[in-house]
Amino acid sequence: MSESIKNRFLIICVICSVVAGVVAIQMVRIQNIEGAEKILAASENYQGVTRLIYPDRGSIYDARGRLMAGNETSYEIGLDLNSDRQPETIASVAASVLGLDYAQVLGYAEMTAGGGNPYYIVLDDFVEKDKIAQLEIIKEDYESRVAKGNETLPSLSGLLWTPHSQRSYPEGTLASNIIGFYSYLDRTGGAGYFGLEEAYNSQLSGTPREVYIAFDPQRLSTVEEVPPGVSLVLTIDREIQALTEQTLDDAIEWSGSESGTIVVYDPEDGSIISMATAPRLDPNEYWDYSTLFPNPNPYNSAISQTYEPGSVFKVLTMAAALDSETVERDTMFNDTGSFFIGGATIYNWNRGGWGMVDMTECLQHSLNVCMAWLATEMGPDTFYTYMRSFGLDRKTGIDLGGETSWPLKLPGDNQWYEVDLATNSFGQGISLTPIQMVMAIGALANDGKMMAPHVVKSMIINNQQYVVDPIVVGTPIKAETAHILTDMLVDSLQNEASNALVDGYTVAGKTGTGEIATALGYSSTETNASFVGWGPAEDPKFLVYVWLEKPSISPWGSEVAAPIFSELVSKLVVLMDIPPDNIRMTDKMQMTGQ
Amino acid sequence: MKKDVLQAYKQAPWRTQLQWVGIFLLVVVGVAAVAGLYLSISGRSAATGRRIQILESKVSTLQRENNDLQTLLGEISSSRALNERVDSLGMRLLTVDEAMYLEVPGYVPATGPSLAPPPSIQEDRTPILLPQFTDTFIEWLTEKLQAVPEPISETEVTP
Repeated sequence: MSESIKNRFLIICVICSVVAGVVAIQMVRIQNIEGAEKILAASENYQGVTRLIYPDRGSIYDARGRLMAGNETSYEIGLDLNSDRQPETIASVAASVLGLDYAQVLGYAEMTAGGGNPYYIVLDDFVEKDKIAQLEIIKEDYESRVAKGNETLPSLSGLLWTPHSQRSYPEGTLASNIIGFYSYLDRTGGAGYFGLEEAYNSQLSGTPREVYIAFDPQRLSTVEEVPPGVSLVLTIDREIQALTEQTLDDAIEWSGSESGTIVVYDPEDGSIISMATAPRLDPNEYWDYSTLFPNPNPYNSAISQTYEPGSVFKVLTMAAALDSETVERDTMFNDTGSFFIGGATIYNWNRGGWGMVDMTECLQHSLNVCMAWLATEMGPDTFYTYMRSFGLDRKTGIDLGGETSWPLKLPGDNQWYEVDLATNSFGQGISLTPIQMVMAIGALANDGKMMAPHVVKSMIINNQQYVVDPIVVGTPIKAETAHILTDMLVDSLQNEASNALVDGYTVAGKTGTGEIATALGYSSTETNASFVGWGPAEDPKFLVYVWLEKPSISPWGSEVAAPIFSELVSKLVVLMDIPPDNIRMTDKMQMTGQ
Repeated sequence: MKKDVLQAYKQAPWRTQLQWVGIFLLVVVGVAAVAGLYLSISGRSAATGRRIQILESKVSTLQRENNDLQTLLGEISSSRALNERVDSLGMRLLTVDEAMYLEVPGYVPATGPSLAPPPSIQEDRTPILLPQFTDTFIEWLTEKLQAVPEPISETEVTP
């Protein structure tokens, strides 16, 4: 090897060594300069991103598994200001397909990213799938065109549509008072309001989870699945709910009532089979809430509106009197037509006296004087102890958002007077929600056991279905008392040939007409007409509570609410597969060998 | 004489150059082999990663489609829609008098819908990418060396 070649080789080696040394020094230097950590952090952004993933909101099904609330896809339309785009084309398509303002979209599309401008602009949100399908057709059409010469082809480049989930209620207004609504327009801070959506908001929405999504394919590992929110299966039967709502709407129209409530309840386990109120909101368009429910209208009057129930309350007074052995079924009472207590005189609804009556007749003729006498015979301690054991001093705890209650005035309270004992005995001077009445009276139809009203039958959590067990709230009266009272109420309905009777079925029940308190005292023209009944009497499968507010055709519960009960129950027994008495009795006799 | 002896044992220049070239080529081939191995594994790793991304995107799309179909089914079979069909077909709700009840011995009515999906096959929650795709060459080599089976000891008894 000649000397000159050796020198050249040496020079090349030295240069390479110097370059390598400089690179090595620079590598060490960069890792130790002041902003090294920031550079390292910035480089992480190119490798992946940590995102907060919101799980799909849980679905809601009726008792037979039919969807009441679910999710569907809608789209966000945005503009990527970093991309090459044709502002006129984008504005034109956005205006024609999405109905957006041409000038406004054009203004956005002509903006340049950075320098105070955003990189991405949301043009529209919650766009339906059919509009996205139109956009995709236009996009495909543009992409399929072939340029001729220097022709510039139209393009939707820069216009993006991103799918996301949207709450959907396929049944519309049906059972909306039970379901509530979810404010889906607020994509990050949405919440459930009223009903199940409120009561089970945290379970339905699930737990958002931070998930690392790697951009670098070499860093990909299993992406952790985010489990969906809890799904609910209800005790509500959709067909019975529809029937109940239809019956209520017809009843309100027929009776000229301001509003109304009907609750169908299974006294055996506390399930709410249907719960209809008026008015009802379509939760798909929940923004109409304030228009449909101007203050102070409650969203679900069955659980959120207290009222003086009137004579339907008498069944509880009679239950307390029988259970405490203050009277017996055959105890006679001489009704003189008035009863003086605490400086006030109590009269019957017709201002007349009914003479010697037994306890069944007291209920049959709905005698206020008899009830006032029973309450005083029991004494305030016994009477209010029973009322508390019926749960009238507290909320029922039903699994729906928005339940309210009114304090029960008790002896010793500032607002309690002696006359309250008498008026409370026939359901005046006491404010209760329909659901409180349903739970309390449910004990009479269930061998004295009072069941917690509930709407959720089972929950689906992480693909496992868990059944919600019924809860016994208490046993305010003995089973024997419950049976005697049911018999008395069956007799009272049959004796007076009530409008509530149902062909082929034995039902027990009681009418109620509650006067409405005004600033000038109780109104004699405006009333709350109610009826509570249950059946079949020997083995109750349903309890129906009807309340019509301020009916105009008649103030009396016996004339307005009782026929509604009869009409509803005659259809209810078909939907619930309850055979008439003669068939059931025949079957029972065959089974017992009689 | 001494010069003659040295001259006799000295490698020919062309032979020395050939040795240098040989060593250089050996290094080049070694580096190329390692680089090729890395490139192959990186390529397969990237392709698998991309496939995972596509499949995950597909899973999301299918989940959304599933939700959409459930909602669509809910709308088609909603109470309102069914009542319209019932009306158009001239049907109405049965009355108590028209209903016929039959005793079916042994029949147990359904207690409620079972909506939870059937239990899935136990998923293997190991990483999607095999260690071969993520280990360094040194780690892979170390693992292979450690995996060499030890000789069976004399005291080991096989049945």
